Amino acid sequence: MNSADQDRLVAAFRRGAEDASAALSKWLGRPATLCVDRLDALPISAAAAVLGSGDEPICGCAMRIDGVVGGLLLLAAADAAGLSLADTLLERPVGTSIGWGDLERSAVVETANIVGCAYLNAICAALDPSETAGILPSPPLFLRDYPATVMEAALMEQPAPADTVLLARTEFRIDGTPVGCGLVFLPDAAGLTTSQSPAPGPRGRP
Amino acid sequence: MSDPLPPRTALLQGEAVEIGQIGVAVGGGVLRTFVGSCVGLVLHSRSQRAAALAHVMLPSSNGRGTPPGKYADTAVPETIRLLGEAAGEPGLACTAKLVGGAAMFAFQSGMPIGEQNLAALERILADLGIPITGRACGGGHGRRLAVDVVSGLVTIQTAGHGTEYLK
Repeated sequence: MNSADQDRLVAAFRRGAEDASAALSKWLGRPATLCVDRLDALPISAAAAVLGSGDEPICGCAMRIDGVVGGLLLLAAADAAGLSLADTLLERPVGTSIGWGDLERSAVVETANIVGCAYLNAICAALDPSETAGILPSPPLFLRDYPATVMEAALMEQPAPADTVLLARTEFRIDGTPVGCGLVFLPDAAGLTTSQSPAPGPRGRP
Repeated sequence: MSDPLPPRTALLQGEAVEIGQIGVAVGGGVLRTFVGSCVGLVLHSRSQRAAALAHVMLPSSNGRGTPPGKYADTAVPETIRLLGEAAGEPGLACTAKLVGGAAMFAFQSGMPIGEQNLAALERILADLGIPITGRACGGGHGRRLAVDVVSGLVTIQTAGHGTEYLK
């Protein structure tokens, strides 16, 4: 991928973060932003460690994306951050949730659904101005596991796991403060190849 | 023979083996890694107090072969070679244990990659006459594992699915 392609992708991912920020703010009922942290091509060993290599489990959701921008989207958070997010969504004092019951899981799954779809729809629109193709996300799958195993399994979802992996990372901020939660998107290499066509225009932007 | 490390200590100490890599040690210590749909291939020689751990990602190299630990068909011979070399006894007798091969995300159609990895490793080990003496495989969760080099004891911990030992 040349630098022009990379610039186009960064612009698309930023657009995705903007739309996802609006969706998250509406969902939470308070100011929230997703900041595009990084778009990197990493060796697979480094990619496996982007969620950390610690011994404490993390929580989150995975969504398989098919369409013009195929890949795997992860919403990942430290356990405590995920439970805090659930409390916020359930309009309870932060610290109320102490474990992953059905209600807490549902709150995180719905967050992944709303934020993830807004994020990916905007990326898709940026990379496919003709609107001839869309995306088809799977239902979010709740997960709670070690960060290294979550990321390893995500890497193995790639159609042809390569030695170098492109991934985009964003960070959630609520009321301006990082909350230990974010999105990781691993686009399929083939999907990116087909989407490297005309530069995105301002279609549909406010 | 020294006593194996307590399980909790074993899981937190030792040489970390990264994805697609192979770790080998002789005479003491611990090898550890995390596996989801990948498989941790443990080879152990009790007589030589030596162990190796390969973090296998895919069932077949299809002629690529690097890094050798990444693919089942290249990882097995390379792990045997490294173990024999480290122990100073090429072709030494060893036993195998398999950990991992989970299906953490149920998005793929067809046989999950974890099952493919396990099937490939089992076939290759059988062809080479290496007995599999322990397995902690499948399911929908990841595992972290630690191999005590001297005893061959494998400690496996999960997030919410308990702890398991393969002796």
